[in-house]
Amino acid sequence: MPRFFSNKRLILLLVGIIVLVAMISFSLRDRQHASLPEQIVKDVVGFGQSFFSKPAHYITGVIENIDGILNTYDENKTLKSRLSEYASGQAELADVRSENERLREIIGKEDNLRDYEPVHATVISRNPDQWEEKIIVDKGEVHGVGKNMAVITANGLVGKVILVNKFTSTIELLSTENRNFRVASVIPGKKSAFGLIEGYDPARGELIMKRIDSNFDVEVGQKVISSGLGGIFPQGLLIGEVTEISTDDYGLTKLAYIRPAANFAMLDHVIIAKRTSVIVDGTDGDSTAGVEGEEGS
Amino acid sequence: MIRSVIPLIAVLLFFFEPVFSLFSPIDIGGVNFTLVPRFVIVYLIFIAIYDSRPRAIVYGIVLGLLYDMFHIDIIGLYAFLYPLICFIATVMIRQVHRHITTVMLLALALILLLEVLSYFFASFISLTSIGMEEFLFTRLLPTIIANSIFVGMFGWFFKNLIYKRVLQRQGETL
Repeated sequence: MPRFFSNKRLILLLVGIIVLVAMISFSLRDRQHASLPEQIVKDVVGFGQSFFSKPAHYITGVIENIDGILNTYDENKTLKSRLSEYASGQAELADVRSENERLREIIGKEDNLRDYEPVHATVISRNPDQWEEKIIVDKGEVHGVGKNMAVITANGLVGKVILVNKFTSTIELLSTENRNFRVASVIPGKKSAFGLIEGYDPARGELIMKRIDSNFDVEVGQKVISSGLGGIFPQGLLIGEVTEISTDDYGLTKLAYIRPAANFAMLDHVIIAKRTSVIVDGTDGDSTAGVEGEEGS
Repeated sequence: MIRSVIPLIAVLLFFFEPVFSLFSPIDIGGVNFTLVPRFVIVYLIFIAIYDSRPRAIVYGIVLGLLYDMFHIDIIGLYAFLYPLICFIATVMIRQVHRHITTVMLLALALILLLEVLSYFFASFISLTSIGMEEFLFTRLLPTIIANSIFVGMFGWFFKNLIYKRVLQRQGETL
């Protein structure tokens, strides 16, 4: 066995390891905020990254278009069959919308939890070592993005903003295993059942909605939307569909498995929903960290 | 010209990694397979073996730091793992013949080591809760297969490029 280390090298290595362990523990403690050098690196690398990601999105877009053309005939058939249905639905929606507006005017309520300003963003990178489900988009503080805002695609909710820099921001996807990721949600019906999206089952590929009052009836196949009561997310963002209902560990509340409406793979364009009504740091934000201890007792 | 090509390729590979990870996870028959692109470390291993170890370690620290800051938000993880892998590469290559096939196999073995180390770290700070078996089947195996395609495609090119640079440098010193 040859001698790999001379004394000097060994000391250097040990010092290096100590410094790195110190840095790791230091950065692990506060991952929600980026220090100034970190922010600069993130913005600069993000700027370079977008030169590589945007052409990639363009190429996948072209391939998807070709794929779309190949399926046109079948798609057209199914779409035609649903066209009449769609027209009547559209008319009804317009009618209900105008009525809603009129009624709102009558009661003098202008603030609406549903309203949000969309910020369109392009995904420039996905965390390459995929231990955490994070993506980085090319819109940041200067474009009006704020921490904990909801991120959606055309299909539904995908995640929320966890870190904001000047020109980029980091988004954590719903499919994360992070237990502090909560979304105040509701299953609308005659009696709406409120609950929290809390956790993801990677084996099933489904979200878990917890703390649903056991008095409420929940059925398989019902849609789940964000309730807007968490303080930051707007109301009415589609999250998914209930696939299974059971009771939680203590048997006090119900628990539902939810198949997410959005697809978390191959994200290219996302919309950051900036709620227009007042934002408070509620369940959607970080302020639940203290609450959790109380709930456990 | 070739002088700036070596770091340029390292930076290019650094930017290509997250682009390829946009395609992951891949859903085949209801099972999600995670592919982790490890292009940078392959290149660093080639530099460590065909050029010099200190150079590879410096590249490893710089790119590892950028990787940590931009993607992971845990500073020091890859800034430690990249140089460590380069170091192990040079130690191991002394025991075997420096043929391109053995270097490629060594690179794959070291990617495996890197993945296992990052898995241990991730489960240590509880970023993930997947078990060993699930890790092996849905993450390690597809990652190795995907990266072996990359190594097979570009290994020869990297070797020639780095050789050219080394020869050029020897010419300069003479």
